Order: sequence, then C-alpha cells, then structure tokens
Amino acid sequence: MAARFLSKSSSGCSLLGALGTSLVGVGSVARETTSKFNCSDIFFQQQRTFVQMGTNLKVVDNSGAKRVMCIQALKNKKGAKLGNIIIGSVKEARPRGKVKKGDVVYGVVVRAAMQRGRCDGSHVKFDDNAVVLVSKQGEPIGTRVFGPVPHELRKKKHVKILALAEHIA
Amino acid sequence: MRLEKCWFCSSTIYPGHGIQFVRNDAKIFRFCRSKCHKNFKMKRNPRKVKWTKAYRRLHGKDMTQDSTFEFERKRNRPQRYDRINTEKVLQAIPKISKVKATREKDHITKRLSVGRVNRKREDRRELEQSISLVKAPSVLKEDATLTLPKQKVTVSYAQTENTRMEE
Repeated sequence: MAARFLSKSSSGCSLLGALGTSLVGVGSVARETTSKFNCSDIFFQQQRTFVQMGTNLKVVDNSGAKRVMCIQALKNKKGAKLGNIIIGSVKEARPRGKVKKGDVVYGVVVRAAMQRGRCDGSHVKFDDNAVVLVSKQGEPIGTRVFGPVPHELRKKKHVKILALAEHIA
Repeated sequence: MRLEKCWFCSSTIYPGHGIQFVRNDAKIFRFCRSKCHKNFKMKRNPRKVKWTKAYRRLHGKDMTQDSTFEFERKRNRPQRYDRINTEKVLQAIPKISKVKATREKDHITKRLSVGRVNRKREDRRELEQSISLVKAPSVLKEDATLTLPKQKVTVSYAQTENTRMEE
C-alpha cells in the first residue's frame, strides 16, 4: 500500500521508465554504477492505482461513446476501483450514438488494471480500464456489453450489466 | 471453494493466495505467487523455465502418464451431496496422494539410477588408471591390500607376449 502512494501518478512511472531507457542506452558501465535496483525492474513493476480524475477509460458498451475521461470518482477520495461509479466526460464518440462528445455521463468501472481483493482473499486484475455508461439511476444506457466483467458487480447491485455481459470473470 | 493450479508453475493455489489476471479475451490466468506473476509479465514461456512443472513434464523429468492423475481431473458439473460418497472420497484422498508421491519418487530414482551406475564405473576406472598419482607403483606391488582385486580378462596370445616384455 505504501508503494502505491509513492508512485501514485502515471507520469512518475513514465519518468522512471525514460530514465531506465536512457541509462541502458549509455552502456554496460552505466549499468554497473546503478547499484541499488535494476533498470529492468522499473519496466516490469508498474504500479497500478485507482481510477481518478483524468483517467481515460475504454467504453465497452454500444452507447456510442468510445473513450471517457474520469472527472470524479464517487464514494472514495483516492479514486474509483473495480465496481465503483465514476462521472466522466466523453472524449471520443461514434457518429450516431446515444451520447455525444463532451457529454457528462455516469459510468460503472467494469475492468480495472488495479487489483481488487475478493472476499476469499484472492485478487483479480484486468488488462485495461473499462467502463459501462449508466444513467444516474444505475440503468445501463447501452444494450450490449463487450468483454469480461467481474462478478463484483452483483454485490454492487449492477445486475443489468451482468445480464448483458458475454463473460463473467 | 476450489483449489486451482498456477498457470505458470502448476502448483496448487490455496484460498487466499495469489492473483488472478483476466485478459480481455476472457482467459483467466491464476498465479500462486508474485514470482510466477512476474515471470508471466516478462512473457516467459513456462515450458522453457526450468523450475516449472510444465518444463519438467515436457523434458521427462517428472512422471506424465499415470492412473493416479485421473482422480485429479477438473470436473465442472456440481455433484449432489451424498454423505457416503463424501466420506469415501475423504478417506481415499490421502491414500491416492501417497501412491502418487511414491510413484513420482520412483520415476525420479529410476531416471537418476543410470547416472549412479555410470559414476561408479567411472570412479572404478579412475582408481585403476590413476592410482599411481597417489601411491608409487612399487609400494602398491609390495602391499596387496592397496590395489583393487585383479579381474580375469581373456586376451589374445599376442597381447600377453607384449605385457611380459614390459615388466
């Protein structure tokens, strides 16, 4: 948890990554001088954090939007996790859809790269950050949901999304 | 509750351990610990990583075909609870695992026994040939107990003539 706070912003990670590449480019001498941690460790241990203001999320329903940028995560100061609701601004949309670019919409996070603990003690993580657009009452705007969804949504009472899902992880 | 197998090292994942990664094509990868997870992120092939079960099975280091594996197959159909059946299963599990363990151990012993025989043969040969590095040949001739017992080897008539000449 402490490590997550340390590297909270994604910009910090990319900076370290850039540093790593520049060091590797110099040569073997440079590698010897970096005593404490290996350059390759920075590449592989990407710290995944919450869905917060500014996070771009993929939209996985057929509501018309393609990308949504989170402007507020409801219910948590740090950010949204898997299964939480966010308020987002539509950044990219398909031409004839139910939502347009620039709309402010509610969405349920159905896939998050940050792992979420389950009640049996295990953790789940997905490949990307994805959201399903939802009305203020919690009803999905679209009629189809693509990709796997977690069964955490059942506890959060998003049963409609589970019903539309093609695969429940 | 279900005991899963780690995707990378094939060890059992007990409840409360490990991370489950769901890829966008809905394929689920379960890992028993961060070691396996990090190796997966490095895109390593478990069939090439020496300490995994996949490698060992592929290269014949561990037992692959056995009837005891049939008991552990994944069954997705839920079974209706039957008390007698459950009792029998709970009694059978330790017996089966014991049999499996002994068979696996025997497989490894059999595999390594060839090496033991070879090593013993090599040691014997080294002792016969290089004993002069340790003790002078004259000392060995005097004391009969220091040399290995001589073995009878049939040779042709011409060879025996040569050895007599050397002495």
